[in-house]
Amino acid sequence: MSETPKSDGHLTRRRFFGKVARGTLGVAAAGVAGGALVKATGARQVWQIDPFKCVQCGQCRTHCVLENSAVKCVHDFAMCGYCELCTGFFYPDPNALNEGAENQLCPVGAIRREFVEEPYFEYHIDASLCTGCGECVKGCSDFGNGSLYLQVRHDRCLNCNQCSIAAACPSDAFMRLPADRPYVVKHLGKEAVGAVPESGGDGS
Amino acid sequence: MTHVRRIAPRVCMSLAVLVLSAAEAQAVERFPPPDFTETGHTLPPLVQPPPGAAWQDILHVAALAVGLGLATWFALGLRSRTAIAWLSVASLLYFGFYLGGCVCPIGSVQNVTAGLADPSYTVPVTVVLIFALPVVFSLLVGRVFCSGVCPLGAIQDLVLLKPLRLPLWLQSALGYVPFVYLGLAVLYAATGSGFIICRYDPFVAFFRLDGSAGMFIFGGAMLVLAMFVGRPYCRFLCPYGALLGLGARVAKWRVRTTPDECVKCRLCENACPFGAIRAPTYEGGPQQ
Repeated sequence: MSETPKSDGHLTRRRFFGKVARGTLGVAAAGVAGGALVKATGARQVWQIDPFKCVQCGQCRTHCVLENSAVKCVHDFAMCGYCELCTGFFYPDPNALNEGAENQLCPVGAIRREFVEEPYFEYHIDASLCTGCGECVKGCSDFGNGSLYLQVRHDRCLNCNQCSIAAACPSDAFMRLPADRPYVVKHLGKEAVGAVPESGGDGS
Repeated sequence: MTHVRRIAPRVCMSLAVLVLSAAEAQAVERFPPPDFTETGHTLPPLVQPPPGAAWQDILHVAALAVGLGLATWFALGLRSRTAIAWLSVASLLYFGFYLGGCVCPIGSVQNVTAGLADPSYTVPVTVVLIFALPVVFSLLVGRVFCSGVCPLGAIQDLVLLKPLRLPLWLQSALGYVPFVYLGLAVLYAATGSGFIICRYDPFVAFFRLDGSAGMFIFGGAMLVLAMFVGRPYCRFLCPYGALLGLGARVAKWRVRTTPDECVKCRLCENACPFGAIRAPTYEGGPQQ
């Protein structure tokens, strides 16, 4: 601020105030950026859903900026009981345990049911049909093992600066994960959910 | 009897829900996963498509720096409107349509604020750089980010047909709106209430060719307005533009009319679609 004026002219009041203002704003900008840099992380961050907080409200389907939401149901097969009467697949109190549309919980028929061996059935999610409404997740979590859960699919997610689903999420289940571990693998348990400051504390 | 049979499972279910929710209804192993001794069936893998790679972020910051450098050269060195126009078309294609608009320097104000205010919120280094680079340039050479690099400005420039001159009182009155917006955005970000700049971004739906009806209506209205009023979002709403404007006001080498050669015909004042040119003032000289 007290630097000598250029040789071409003398230090006028106007130039002096210009310098002072420039210096002040420069210091302020450097302070703000520096303060943010102190805590900054080198890792790229992506949005993800904590399935242990998700309450399957259905807003993932409606609140994504994409017409076809980036949130889809995924199936952690290692947790699945392979039930014949799958409460994620069948409408409550179904007419029959078959693939008839009237028996299916999924509104778009995105779940494929395959016989494996007596009495086990395997359930596959067709992500191109899934709307992320979470109906099957609700059924599976309430009455089954909870092997169906919602995740942000990073082949679709635009990684908005502020996820509009996160802004609407009633259970605060959206979080940022480092891009090298972008998914939650549910059967590894609550403690394995990375980068969630709360997850360490309340896991009792 | 049928009535009871219908009711009974529901009662059981709601009881179960109550019990389960009390016991944190998550990852409960009610049905042990089978081991498939008969068929030897193996579990299918978990579907996990990977996100974009880290080099994309580095390219993003590098492109921003190069864009700012070029805009500076075009504005101060070449003094060429045509060059800046082509640069802004390129920026619109890359930062707008290719990257989909996020994360932009305008929105990064909120990330930096949240990073300072909330100890648990982490900001990537690239986002801090995206925030800081245009500010540094504005202190040195003015708002070159707005002129040639910002895709939101570029899309408004492209649709400008017949700029109307707004009355001066209206211009100066509306000029305060961005500062109010900036204050609100900082307040919202600092308190963790949300990123309002991103929520009300007018053109991001156009960049992605996808979005809610509300976003398209607001953005479309802004584009129609931009046909007759030069850059309405930049001048009367953009909070980052307000911030850069503070820097540009005291910038060291900003664009100036050449006072020695000015004949005060005021043609440029009329020609400027953004109402940014005022009569020249002499600087440094004792004659005023």
